Amino acid sequence: MTGFLRRRAVTSLLPLIAVLLGVFFLARLTGDPANLYLPVSATPEQRQNFIEANGLDDSIWVQMWDYLGGVLTLDFGDSLRTGESAAAMALRAFPATLQLAFSTMLIAVVGAVVIGSWAAYRPNSVADRISSFLSMTAASVPDFWFAIVGVWIFAVSLGWLPTSGVTGGMASWVLPVATLVIRPLGVLTQVVRGAMVSALSAPYVRLARSKGAGDLRVVTHHALRNAAAPALTVAGDLMVGLINGAVVVETIFGWPGIGKLMIDSILGRDFAVLQACVLLTAVSIFVLNILIDIGYALLDARVREKVSA
Amino acid sequence: MLSPPIRRSRGLPKVAGLLGLALVASGCTVANSEYVTGGGADGLRIVLPQEPPTLEACQSSLTATGVVVRSNITEPLLERDPDSGELEPLLATEWEQTSPETWTFKLREGVTFTDGTPFDAEAAAFTIDRAVNSDLACEVEGYVFGDTDLEVEAVDETTLTVTSPEPDPILPLRLSFVEMVSTKTSTTEKVREPIGTGPYRVADWQAGQRLSLESNPGYWGEVPAYKNVNYVWRAEGSVRAAMVANGEADIATSLAPEDGAGELAVAYANNETTALRMQADQPPLDDIRIRQAVNYVIDRKLLAETLFEKLAQPAGELIPDGIVGYEPDEQIWPYDAARAKQLVDEARADGVPVDTEIRLIGRNAQFPRITETIEVIQGELAKAGLNVKIEMMDTNAQLEYQIRPFPKDTGPYLLMIMHGNQAGDAAFTLDQYMLAEGYQSSWGTAEFDQKIRAAEALVGQERQDAMAALWQYEQEEITQYAYIAHMSAIMAKSPNVSYRPNSASGDEMRLAEMSPVS
Amino acid sequence: MSATLETPLEAPRSQNPKLLTLLLKDKVATLAALVLCFVFLTAVFGPMLVAEQAREQNLLNANAEPFTLDGGWLNFLGTDPLGRSVLARLIVASRTTLSVAVPAVLLSLVIGSLIGMWAGYHRGRRETVVMRIADIILSFPSLLMAVVVLYIFSPSSANLVLVLAITRIPIYLRTARAESAELQSRLFVDAARTFGTKPTAIIFRHVLPIILPTLLTVATLDFCFVMLSESSLSFLGIGIQPPSVSWGLMVAQGRTYLQTAWWLSFFPGLAIVITTVSATVLASWARLATDPAQRWRLTLPRHKRGRKEVK
Repeated sequence: MTGFLRRRAVTSLLPLIAVLLGVFFLARLTGDPANLYLPVSATPEQRQNFIEANGLDDSIWVQMWDYLGGVLTLDFGDSLRTGESAAAMALRAFPATLQLAFSTMLIAVVGAVVIGSWAAYRPNSVADRISSFLSMTAASVPDFWFAIVGVWIFAVSLGWLPTSGVTGGMASWVLPVATLVIRPLGVLTQVVRGAMVSALSAPYVRLARSKGAGDLRVVTHHALRNAAAPALTVAGDLMVGLINGAVVVETIFGWPGIGKLMIDSILGRDFAVLQACVLLTAVSIFVLNILIDIGYALLDARVREKVSA
Repeated sequence: MLSPPIRRSRGLPKVAGLLGLALVASGCTVANSEYVTGGGADGLRIVLPQEPPTLEACQSSLTATGVVVRSNITEPLLERDPDSGELEPLLATEWEQTSPETWTFKLREGVTFTDGTPFDAEAAAFTIDRAVNSDLACEVEGYVFGDTDLEVEAVDETTLTVTSPEPDPILPLRLSFVEMVSTKTSTTEKVREPIGTGPYRVADWQAGQRLSLESNPGYWGEVPAYKNVNYVWRAEGSVRAAMVANGEADIATSLAPEDGAGELAVAYANNETTALRMQADQPPLDDIRIRQAVNYVIDRKLLAETLFEKLAQPAGELIPDGIVGYEPDEQIWPYDAARAKQLVDEARADGVPVDTEIRLIGRNAQFPRITETIEVIQGELAKAGLNVKIEMMDTNAQLEYQIRPFPKDTGPYLLMIMHGNQAGDAAFTLDQYMLAEGYQSSWGTAEFDQKIRAAEALVGQERQDAMAALWQYEQEEITQYAYIAHMSAIMAKSPNVSYRPNSASGDEMRLAEMSPVS
Repeated sequence: MSATLETPLEAPRSQNPKLLTLLLKDKVATLAALVLCFVFLTAVFGPMLVAEQAREQNLLNANAEPFTLDGGWLNFLGTDPLGRSVLARLIVASRTTLSVAVPAVLLSLVIGSLIGMWAGYHRGRRETVVMRIADIILSFPSLLMAVVVLYIFSPSSANLVLVLAITRIPIYLRTARAESAELQSRLFVDAARTFGTKPTAIIFRHVLPIILPTLLTVATLDFCFVMLSESSLSFLGIGIQPPSVSWGLMVAQGRTYLQTAWWLSFFPGLAIVITTVSATVLASWARLATDPAQRWRLTLPRHKRGRKEVK
């Protein structure tokens, strides 16, 4: 296992650098930020000063070198927009996003496993049809619909929940998490159901049944474990989306997360902050991918054998 | 058995365990940072569309910064009354022009900054030097002073002289944009939290979440009604409106008519004027008939009535009422689609390349219903026989087209602009938008430039009349712009707060003017 | 329906009519198929009929309420803030929407699955390289990619398809890789290998039929994801540019009016939901009707792949 981890860490390093460089170069293709940060009547000298002060006049390779050096010392420079340290801004926003992401995923996974297996147990039964229909609808509803309508129903009309913000205790979590969970829950339920239908009709499950294994036992011990692999893949991808920031939810509910920060820094051509954010999310996503692979390994004995070999 | 069941049984619980562990590890920093929302009799809660990027006083001509900083945390020497247009004394009690280039200011005595340093001529000179003459590239420098440097001298403790290279009749007005800061402020970099003399000071800034101000115990003037003020920010207008409706905030700014503030909504003219700027050096826009056609297809009255829900006034110039240089008898360009088509056809007959694709560029969310407005104009222009393509851009991309130096090889484009003259004098507008080489002007003539310069050198009623006459000349001879409408803003206000917004409220929301309704 | 599970080994030739009969027996699936046909036909022929009406502005009749025939049948679903018929715009938008979403999904599905299967089958270094590339795309902020591509090139439909397809490739890649890695170690694949079958043939004959249903399930769900992504790009102003119109653009533009004119974003949203749900229903029906667990031994009946991809 340690050998596997070490190898994964090493092979992840190169892609990580690729992401960092990709962001570095692509960001610079979106235009010079001078217009945004200088007064309209800035003289050519002021422009020059601005460009020099922010190191934008160095050749792109020198800038890249500075940037990579900064990554090693976790110094990304200061934000153009706020003058704060970019790393501090990204680190401040990230926990908020992670908390939303993990709570959402936990609810989605548990919900999807329960609903999905229940639906798959009797394919095309009424229960299956209803749960499928609901989960499919959930997966395709635009999230800002739900968010905005939710605010007006639950906060303004009924007065049960705060409209937005992170400061209202647990109650302020309800609407953001509910908005976020809809899509992952819908998608995962579909995937679990699909995989379970296949698994339940597979010969070994039929064999287990014929040997007299109870229904619940068949579902949990035989089918579910085989259905877990595709579910894990999709759940991982959904989790990646959540870690990259739930932009709509963060924007509407004023949740100070990394998705909103990234958008703001892209729109503000605030390269330092963008790069800090991307490093943070990319590392987390690589770690998550390693965790997912460990998940596969734990689920599948054969893969595990190869890993330790 | 071709595909045997997987036998390991601890897989799922382990994965779930990992997830759970990660959840705990991510901590609860957000949930822990609860705060008292600061409601009640001595607390005021305001929700803004965005977090101030910084509170640096010399950046306060940026709307997001100025709305919090100006006249709340810091104060200028004198301020312009948005209703009367007159300059009122603030940190300076008197001022006079002592020579053509020099103005002398008498400063208020007994004022201290919130860090304890005294406010005197030394501090005022320090602030003006820092904002206008330094390498900080302050927003206020570009906004009101252009590339002029000022000579500042502290004659004695309470006397300050300011000298400009050329005689400047509106120097005091320009200086009303410089917010005074303590001499302890860094001169080499911008600071995030300013030390001023205002009725409030920064108490706590939880970046990303909220900003709290508290009243300044040593304030020289009248103590404001609210002791604590909390700012939060939500990007979505309907959520801002919902917060006031739900009692989570007392004031919400920058709302659109459809945001649903209902009876809590307060509309007020906000000095902003929308217009289309035509890149008059690019064919076919270099032909005045095409520029006239663009003007003819815009049904300003209908737009103001319908799309802007009667909250806007049709415009025939780029500044609204209340600004020096405003022409009260505005010439609204009439809507005449047939005439527009005829003009385009005439131009086509003369070999003008009217079929060239013209880009119609707008900035996302610049004002409520900007996309709809642009679609209306595009539809009408298409009917007139022009080939117009809409491009909505983010701020940075749009600014490249708005501010000199313009990008090369753009082809002809129409640019939706919104100009807010917060200074009170048309000179600021004319320099930027009308001079042939103005930073936000695509084109002009030497003759028009001369007229502008001549008008700007005048004072008093002569100044007013000369500037006001320029608008009709621009429409008839230059036609770089198709003026659309003088806009309004909407805020939502809780019935518990007494406050009357004015045309400057979007840039400078004076907390001292707000009080609880008893 | 469950009878299908028990219906083994059909001769490939008789599959086609058999599937149609099966479909007609299932009312919900039939309805889904009809809805999809209707959407498809609307996208093809609708714009010819109402293109003019969808452009016609009437500011005096802005935001007219739906469900009344006062403004003519075209205004039955209300009008937008420019007084244009929401119904006509929905119809015109269906073409733009499908012409972005379908190619984007197909492109990412085909590229992602092929590379994924190949990587999963061969394992080793090839797998590692491919998976790390997928990691790169996944951990790259897709919005930055969109802003960059659409900033440098123009926001045309083709560029939208490109951006959306690239960001979705890793999804298929990872799913296909995971399943084919698992399959390649199974006995029947071993058997095929021993008989000297070429890897490509094994992938297409033995691996693809088994993982195709999962991939299709993911793809149908992705169909809606792509439509919603296009909507959020529109929200940022870099999606479909007016006066062109797509369902996503309509949803994004109508969003601010949710309280005052709910129909503006409700109907296009509903169109997205109905289309996706129909696609998913049909896909899950196809999955049951052609359960590979029953017939993995058969060579792939190729004409059936086309059937499953009904959109």
